[in-house]
Amino acid sequence: MSLRRQLLLVSLLALLLPWAGCQFIRETESALRASQQQLLASTAQAVADSLTRYVDAFPPPALTSYAADDQLYGLALERAPVVDGFFDDWPLTAAALRTIDGPDGEIRYATGLHAGFLYVYVAVRDDDVTYADTASLVPSDRAPFADRVRLINATPPYLEEQISFAAEAPGVIIPYAQNAFGFAAEPAIRAVWQGMAGGYRLEARIPRNRLGTHLGLVIDDVAERDRPGTSQSSFRGDAPAPFVGRMPALQRAAEALAQPGLRVIITDPGGWRLADVDALAEGEPVDQSGVSRWLRFAYDAVVEDGTPSGLSEPDPAGREQQPYVASALSGNASAAWFRGGDGGNALVAVAAPVQLSGQLFGAVVLQKGTDAILSLRNQGLVRLMNVTMIAMFLVAGGLLGYATWLSRRIRRLSVAAASAADDTARAARLPSAGARDEIGDLSRSFSGVLAQLGAYNEYLRTLASKLSHELRTPLAIVTSSLENLEHEALDDAQRRYTRRARDGADRLRRILAAMSEASRVEELMNNVDTEVFSLDAAVRSAVGGYRDVYPDRRFDLAIAPGADCTVRGAPELLIQLLDKLVDNAVSFSRSGDAVSIDIASDTGAVRLDVSNPGPALPAAMRGQLFDSMVSVRPGDDATHLGLGLYVARLIAAGHNGRIEARDIDGGVRFTVWLPRAAAGDDT
Amino acid sequence: MAKRIAIVEDEAAIRDNYTAAFRREGYAVDPYDARKPALEAFASRLPDLVVIDINLRDDVEGGFELCRELRARAPELPIIFLTARDSEFDAVSGLRLGADDYLTKDISLPHLMARVAALFRRLDALKEPQSGDSRITRGDLEIDTDRMNIFWQGHPVGLTLTEFWLVHALARYPGHVKNRQQLMDAAQAVLDDNTITSHIKRIRRKFIAVDPGFDAIETVYGMGYRWLTTSG
Repeated sequence: MSLRRQLLLVSLLALLLPWAGCQFIRETESALRASQQQLLASTAQAVADSLTRYVDAFPPPALTSYAADDQLYGLALERAPVVDGFFDDWPLTAAALRTIDGPDGEIRYATGLHAGFLYVYVAVRDDDVTYADTASLVPSDRAPFADRVRLINATPPYLEEQISFAAEAPGVIIPYAQNAFGFAAEPAIRAVWQGMAGGYRLEARIPRNRLGTHLGLVIDDVAERDRPGTSQSSFRGDAPAPFVGRMPALQRAAEALAQPGLRVIITDPGGWRLADVDALAEGEPVDQSGVSRWLRFAYDAVVEDGTPSGLSEPDPAGREQQPYVASALSGNASAAWFRGGDGGNALVAVAAPVQLSGQLFGAVVLQKGTDAILSLRNQGLVRLMNVTMIAMFLVAGGLLGYATWLSRRIRRLSVAAASAADDTARAARLPSAGARDEIGDLSRSFSGVLAQLGAYNEYLRTLASKLSHELRTPLAIVTSSLENLEHEALDDAQRRYTRRARDGADRLRRILAAMSEASRVEELMNNVDTEVFSLDAAVRSAVGGYRDVYPDRRFDLAIAPGADCTVRGAPELLIQLLDKLVDNAVSFSRSGDAVSIDIASDTGAVRLDVSNPGPALPAAMRGQLFDSMVSVRPGDDATHLGLGLYVARLIAAGHNGRIEARDIDGGVRFTVWLPRAAAGDDT
Repeated sequence: MAKRIAIVEDEAAIRDNYTAAFRREGYAVDPYDARKPALEAFASRLPDLVVIDINLRDDVEGGFELCRELRARAPELPIIFLTARDSEFDAVSGLRLGADDYLTKDISLPHLMARVAALFRRLDALKEPQSGDSRITRGDLEIDTDRMNIFWQGHPVGLTLTEFWLVHALARYPGHVKNRQQLMDAAQAVLDDNTITSHIKRIRRKFIAVDPGFDAIETVYGMGYRWLTTSG
């Protein structure tokens, strides 16, 4: 893993600081919420304790057990609905309607209390409404039968009767009560039957004092007059459950407790609302002006969400089933946090059981509006958190930046050192050389090593030309002496020896010429006249020459179609470069082999490849192939000094190009890149 | 009377070898080992030809100095640089100072003798009336092999001996490619590829100085050069 990545990972640890800050805010927030809930919970407990004085006002404990679902609940109606078979004049929403599954769809019903009357509304889905006739107006076990709604009215163990609502036609109907004493029409009950698409609706008003303690609804659905149909009821089992509704005594007690900004609900053990006072809206609005919007937004993102605020509202059908209420009804005081829809407000809610000597009578629910983000209520805390957050972000950012900077320095140093090592002729000043830290030391020692390496390479580079220059004078002495000697009278043996000496001197002279070639090329490069010309034409003509010079090699010249090979340079020098590469390719291939020369143009560059079959490049020398006096040729070629590729590199570099060698399948390829002459550059 | 050649060379062995060689050819030779004794001797009597080494012992540029002073005194005196320095820069400097030829010590003695003889022949030819039969004409080019003069469109082109031989070799058979070895033999000099290249370049420049439209010397890459006649 690179140092940069490591540093990045380490600096990522700095992100723990803002994370810790968020945790801190969260913790503070939950502590503040907990304390708010605590406060409200103790109030709720006090209320619950005080309500134990009113245990008589709670519904009496039942003799038989029943499910809360089976109970009918008298919703408190603010005004009296008109008994006309329609629900839209009830001061309730449709959510207040409870449902029973019927054979043809949902049966929806509601029961409400207002001014001593019980109001009943039932909407029945029935594909085929069977109206009654005189014979079936009263329920019996014999045909004919009719669709009807029955209200089971009971006060165990004394009273058991049913009030039957059946219609001969839509409109006002007369219900009949049936009990142990027989049938009787009930003119005190006003009831209206209305047909509707796919069923019928029934609305009825019954004096409260006409009814007992237990109520239930049964809906009979008859398909044919002579056969009994099916029945659905609002309760399970045979007997209805106790009727429950708002308890006036408890309502008075709750109203006494009411205070602005507080909602009080008292439920029975089943969660049915016995009393409720809503003064939430009367509380002081939460002041949010002191805190900027973005801060609130930021905190919003950090702190835990509460339960959606909609769930905090009292249940429209009358039964509180929120988990925290359910928990209170099982005997444990409990709390909940409701998030405000508009982002600024929240609701803290607690529920406490009302218990007296182990007997559960119900629960008290208190709800109180508050700020959604309590931490923001405290200016000091806000400032502390802001400063802490800013400091944490600064530290994290600083660490991250420092790590980036440090790794950048090291990377730059390593890149610079690598490129300086490739091109030691230029003993470049490395980055960070002036720094007084360890990286500065590293840079300086790198520079030192590179400078030594550069000096050594420079020495090697000039060695050849210096040597050839120094050797030229003694060589001239030898050759001129030999030539003079040849004019003396010599016998055959002496002549033979002088000829050998001449041959040796000649060879020496050729070596010296090769040695000085590099410095001559360098010199030429500095004052050469460049021209813009087409490389492919020059190479094509040169390849013709190679075919004559090396008759035992094949030369395959391939010029990429459409290649633009216009370059600026000295054609003779570039051909000399090619000479060197071809000479090299010929040396390393065998008789009959093909040397391929390819020309192609990339964007901005012309590429010249010279490939030959033969042994791969020796791995150890790979980096130095193009250096002065480096030869990897087989040992039998004693006069080779390893200057050819060095000259090739000199020429390529002099043309702002570069040269590269690599192994190909079964051979070696040398590639030269030359910058392409810009269009219009023809001077 | 034998021609008198002065050799200014600090290396005793070479000096002696050259002296012996020249004497064998019948020249009178005055060897000097430094600039000062040479100048003192030249003050009383000028030789017919001077061969100068550039590097005279501690006097690194002594040969150039000597050439400059001699040229000031005797504009017509043939001067040949014979030196171990083979750099382009030195050759250009030497020729610019008015030397007639610039040879490196790679040259063989027979080649050197041929050069000197050619130089004397040119001097003699200049003194005699023009004979006309030693002229070669190729289009705009006119070569006087006796005086070793070259004219382009009637204007003289000032070439050194080496350059003259190169042009002569190329223009003798127009259209034939002369490779570097052939050119080297013609110039009676040992020159490496780069030297030939710069010689050709210099020749082109001299012709272009006379005629900006000159393009009679064509480079045949990988092979050599050829002379194109302007007949087309």
